[in-house]
Amino acid sequence: MNKYDSRELWEHVLSQVELSISPANFNTWFRESSIVKIEDGIVYIGVPSQFFRDWYLKKFHPLLLKIIRGVSYEFRNIEYMIVKDASRKPRTERRREPSMEMPLDEFYINKSDNLNPKYTFDTFVVGSFNELAYAAAQAILARPGITYNPLFIYGDTGRGKTHLIQAIGNQFKKLYPNRKVFYLTSERFSVDYTDSIGSGSANRFKEKYRQYDLLIMDDVQFLAKKEKTQEELFHLFNSLHDNNKQIIFSSDRSPQSIPDIADRVRGRLSSGMTVDIGEPDTESRMSIVRRKAAANGVTLGEDVIEYVATSVSGSIRELEGVINSVVCHTQVKGVPPDLAEVRQSLRAFSRPTKTVSVKHVVSKVAEFYGIDEESIYEKTRRREVVRPRQVIMYLLREDFSVSYPTIGSKLGGRDHTTVIHSCEKVKREIVDDADLAKEIQDIRGLLV
Amino acid sequence: MIINLNKKEFRDVVGIVSRFADKRSSTLPTLSGIALIAGDDGIKVRATNLETGVDMFVEGTIKTPGAIVIPSSVLRDISSSFSDSGQVTIEHSGDTAIITAGTAKSTVKTLPFDDFPSLPLPENPKTTFRIPGASLVSLINTVASCASTSTIRPELAAVLLSSEGGHVKAVATDSFRLAEKKISIKEKMNNFSILIPARNALDLAQTIPDTDVEVRVDEHQCAVVWGKNTLTTRLVAAAYPDYTQIIPKSFTSEATVLRKDFEGALKRTAVFSDSFQKVRLGFDVKGKKLALSAHNADVGEAVEPLASSLTGDSLELSFNFRYLQTPLPLFTSESITLSAGGIGRPLVIKGVGDQSFLYLVMPMNQ
Repeated sequence: MNKYDSRELWEHVLSQVELSISPANFNTWFRESSIVKIEDGIVYIGVPSQFFRDWYLKKFHPLLLKIIRGVSYEFRNIEYMIVKDASRKPRTERRREPSMEMPLDEFYINKSDNLNPKYTFDTFVVGSFNELAYAAAQAILARPGITYNPLFIYGDTGRGKTHLIQAIGNQFKKLYPNRKVFYLTSERFSVDYTDSIGSGSANRFKEKYRQYDLLIMDDVQFLAKKEKTQEELFHLFNSLHDNNKQIIFSSDRSPQSIPDIADRVRGRLSSGMTVDIGEPDTESRMSIVRRKAAANGVTLGEDVIEYVATSVSGSIRELEGVINSVVCHTQVKGVPPDLAEVRQSLRAFSRPTKTVSVKHVVSKVAEFYGIDEESIYEKTRRREVVRPRQVIMYLLREDFSVSYPTIGSKLGGRDHTTVIHSCEKVKREIVDDADLAKEIQDIRGLLV
Repeated sequence: MIINLNKKEFRDVVGIVSRFADKRSSTLPTLSGIALIAGDDGIKVRATNLETGVDMFVEGTIKTPGAIVIPSSVLRDISSSFSDSGQVTIEHSGDTAIITAGTAKSTVKTLPFDDFPSLPLPENPKTTFRIPGASLVSLINTVASCASTSTIRPELAAVLLSSEGGHVKAVATDSFRLAEKKISIKEKMNNFSILIPARNALDLAQTIPDTDVEVRVDEHQCAVVWGKNTLTTRLVAAAYPDYTQIIPKSFTSEATVLRKDFEGALKRTAVFSDSFQKVRLGFDVKGKKLALSAHNADVGEAVEPLASSLTGDSLELSFNFRYLQTPLPLFTSESITLSAGGIGRPLVIKGVGDQSFLYLVMPMNQ
């Protein structure tokens, strides 16, 4: 017998115990137990509940100790652990139910680290739009806290930020089982902080967050205007950063463009590596569609995949919505839909194409900048008119896909090259000029 | 051991406690018994099936202290006829117990007390809270029938009980339907979240009184204490799915009907359901009707449109009629709203004006 093999040791124990107690007792108390591990001379016996643990301690402890010591004096003691239900039985075949099941499996969230296990790198599609972010993530996992600290990932909604940062967390857990990870949204952080102030346990709040080796904070843009929370984050950041603990942030815009955030916090957010996730290209979209459909057990034709990938613009989340409806269609009808059917069902999904009158845009923008609407159409080159006019051209082109010559002619008969120049200029400036970017954001809000 | 007890009180206590004795014959024989323990702290009546256990005190005088185990079926059958308020004497000698009530005398074979397990109590309770027993009973009874009966996923065979922000809620699901009941609590309560195996929860609900009870919880065990009595149950230590993400936020079709009408129509239509127990639910917005229909090749078919107020799109979904039936008696309001999110998406049923109870059911494949 190999005394370090827990299964063999347990079988030996059972054979001895069986001789000493009545069969009824043996069947009741020993059938569901086992040796979980042997560590430092202590044998850990896993039992199903506290009823068992108490009774083992009361009735069987001396007997078990005697048997185990009989095997080897290396075993100093026995401890009893209650084994979690989840890890006791493997899942077996389930009966066929004609009713559909809720997708509960996707929603098991680990309480101690808040990570959703469904987000892993296995399901993460890497394309040219996110390969930099992916590479940064891998670098962090190789040397956490040292390579890029903090990592700041930004990009529009539905581009996979949350998936990426949660996947980092899940992978980190796998690679470094003894270190602690915690994922939270900035909103949760701020609620937690407010609660701790309310209940007078601010110190415990500080302690709680300083213990993590990897802290992941999602959607930091929501910290805007919450000055006290920002201050708390500032201190937390310093303490984690000084101890080489990795921090990861995500946001829907770059640190520079987050409005109403203290400069010292802004500086710290962008002090490590800042990467953005762009819009996925068609190939990546196709790959995503294929992967998601396969994950749901549906194989789609190449033409269908291409059609879905090209016709659904916007975020990956919207793409997922379409795939889900395709999957649902397959479950209901039994066969994957063909191109014609997908086209039919996609009609419900396609967003109404935005149409807008140039006049409407002009009046809104003029109103925004507080200038006379007529001056936009005039040939004037006054500074306060030029900027709004360029913004109008940019918006008409970018958001409403109006052709360059049309924009030119509608805005007082300008040449299309002037329009191209203006659009390019705004596009360039928007990258560096946070104020301009914010202005355009605000105007977009007005136009909806 | 010699003890004197009030007959009626003893009958009531045995009636409650005997529910906790193990009914399976395959296990330890002593678990099918009820233990009577006469000690310094009074006379305790105890039973356990290693899932749940209960300790209840009964008034009486102790002549000689001691402890015995009497088979629960025998003790219950004897005591159930005790109706007057006279005295009963229980005397232990050798491996028999002599139960004397008036002129009646019975001698019962006992079970070994040595094998009778102790009741585990939470060691370092993480959370302790007080709650009116009636509220706890209503929470559990409302949802427990929706818990899974299979043990493959232990967390789904349990009732989730949790408190947050002045509400206590109970949730159960078997992944085909889900029930959530919320009540608001006036007293301040720490946040907690525990999983009680559904069967244990139902036993608990049948036992505790309507008055305030104290609940003590640690990771694996939970004790409910009222007066000197204690009930203890195993807890499921597993993660519960974040079910709130399954509850749809927007709907394509909604119908409001009288609950009585719906219940009756469902009963009549279900006669014609097939072997999968399928009934169809049609939202006919133009005709302002919510139609129930079923078709069984061997029996026949039925259709019953109900007058109702509808919004959204017309839609037809199929359901297992039992899943539609379960929640109906649990609504307190006259009318109910059925909200559907489209084909393949869950249907949500709520009472009109009643935010406390939510029932969600998945449709069948067409």
